[in-house]
Amino acid sequence: MTSNGKPLLEVDGLVMRYQTKRGQVSAIEDVTFTLHHGESLGLVGESGCGKTSVAMSLMGLAADNARYMSGEIRLEGENLLALNEDEMRRRRWKSISMVFQGAMNSWNPVYRVGDQIREAMDLHIQPKLSEAAAKSRMARLFEMVGLNPSMLVRFPHEFSGGMRQRAVIAMALSCDPKLIIADEPTTALDVIVQDQILKELKKIQDQLGMALIYISHDIAVIAEVTDTIGVMYAGKLVEYGSTLEVFHRPRHPYAYLLLSSTPSITGPRRKLAPLEGEPPNLLDPPPGCRFHPRCPFVTDQCRTEDPPFVDIAPGHKVACWNWQQVPVTIGASA
Amino acid sequence: MTMPLLKVDSLTKLFPVQRGLFRKPIEFVHAVDGISFEIGSGQSLGLVGESGCGKSTTGRMLTRLMDATSGQILLADNGNPVDVAHITRDGMRTFRRRVQMIFQDPYESMNPRRTIFDTVAEPLTVQGIGTVTEREEKVADLLRLVGLSPPETFLFRYPHELSGGQRQRIAIARALVINPSFVVADEPTSMLDVSIRISIMDLMLKLGDEFDVSYLYITHDLAVARYMCDRIAVMYLGKIVELAESEELLSNPLHPYTKALLSAVPVPDPSFKRAPVEIKGGIGKAINPPPLCRFIERCPIATDVCHNNDHPPLEDKGGGHYVACYLV
Repeated sequence: MTSNGKPLLEVDGLVMRYQTKRGQVSAIEDVTFTLHHGESLGLVGESGCGKTSVAMSLMGLAADNARYMSGEIRLEGENLLALNEDEMRRRRWKSISMVFQGAMNSWNPVYRVGDQIREAMDLHIQPKLSEAAAKSRMARLFEMVGLNPSMLVRFPHEFSGGMRQRAVIAMALSCDPKLIIADEPTTALDVIVQDQILKELKKIQDQLGMALIYISHDIAVIAEVTDTIGVMYAGKLVEYGSTLEVFHRPRHPYAYLLLSSTPSITGPRRKLAPLEGEPPNLLDPPPGCRFHPRCPFVTDQCRTEDPPFVDIAPGHKVACWNWQQVPVTIGASA
Repeated sequence: MTMPLLKVDSLTKLFPVQRGLFRKPIEFVHAVDGISFEIGSGQSLGLVGESGCGKSTTGRMLTRLMDATSGQILLADNGNPVDVAHITRDGMRTFRRRVQMIFQDPYESMNPRRTIFDTVAEPLTVQGIGTVTEREEKVADLLRLVGLSPPETFLFRYPHELSGGQRQRIAIARALVINPSFVVADEPTSMLDVSIRISIMDLMLKLGDEFDVSYLYITHDLAVARYMCDRIAVMYLGKIVELAESEELLSNPLHPYTKALLSAVPVPDPSFKRAPVEIKGGIGKAINPPPLCRFIERCPIATDVCHNNDHPPLEDKGGGHYVACYLV
């Protein structure tokens, strides 16, 4: 992990809303984080918390009704939000690439997998690689993700779910990106296959020294893959810090409850603490802290004032007025 | 010996693979292949395995949503065994009163054009239980029990107005409204968010206790099975390879597949280092499988014994810990 030098990615006060007939959906609300070369960041949260919206914004692929109200996304100092579609297209895959959740949908069923990877390389690698160079590069990529290079001439339907996801990772690596965003890449897979893909991904990230943003609702997967973790709730980043620190001493009530309500196969069998209620409707988010209707530590201040995202320790940030009230041990009843 | 609530013996389901000019079934997928187990009254058994291992097919056979190819399912009725495969049309009504199912997808398992009241009261209507007023009271009681209160605000709404978690609560209310003694729950929380999952699981545990319901809990998630079930059965390609008390299975897995499965489960603790997973690749399909151990191709410890014998029988290795492996 090289955290010295200039950051690779800075997301700074990003606010994004989806314009809908029923009003504005506040999907990303003042999200700020920094990622250095070679670092891995896990974004965790429930469906609708904005984690995929953040990923799509980084890729410049947010839906047409997305409106950026304020903030910047800087990749090596350059604000991606100020680029036009053409300039963004040139950076996509080459600077930032993405592994999507549904591996089948990432492929065009009527083209050979190798030809589709080749297309991405031809579009983004300048000068264009020769036939032989492209072939050997693709073979190397396939080997790297644990696939036999002879599979390159096959069609997507001839791959199993796990193999398809490996091929998607190979494609994401094809243009030597500095940052890979993996959005729930193993959610549809069985645990044994998931384990292999996670190991492969970590190994490749170490070898190539790229940065990784890993998005998942599964906090256990995040624990295994990333150095840093960001916990999102209702469009806001509520806690950010080293994975070890956040897992062992979560300071935001939501992070704490999320960890307390995750069943595990290790450790003593314990009663899990349920999180009451459901996430808010982002068409009309609650005033003050967005978590306050479900928070066991709620005070009057939480109902009216939105807590700032502040450092509570070096590299550990929390957006909560009462973070000092959160128990230190996981599993204690709240 | 008294009859347990449910006794399954050599249950098998084969699906024909149709090929060729006359679509003649020449091969069979052995989806469930001779499995046997028992569930006592008020007990819960977790059925765990990767996709395609036959766990959902088993659940569907137990609820008679699908007929078994062979084997026997016996359900105790006042201590007398009833053969589920040979229930008559009249008997079916009684059977449905005793056995219910909760499905995975709360968006697909409800009729979008029926109100919540109609949905939950349906089993009562079909069974002809109570008057309209009595049904209304019963449904309102159930809604309160599953945490949807005040019930009046939910009774005449439609499924699309509810969230996934609320719908799954409705599904639980619907399954329990006629006091069944056995409920098959097929991945009831896998589509829900983590923060909602636990409250649904707790609700099922609480109501299971209150109504003295036995569960067959189908899941791919061992951590969920541990939380929900007294015992866990691990399935692999249509066979039960290991069955034991939940804590015993997790702390002392004996079958090589169970060991691999356990070491592949991510642990929500970054300082925990898992043992390496010994097996590779994904699960296949059991199309006309050879009579050998189903796990033989992926097994890291297979020896000549395994290659020269049939699929090993599920044997008690002491204290009700059953394993199907020659090398244990």
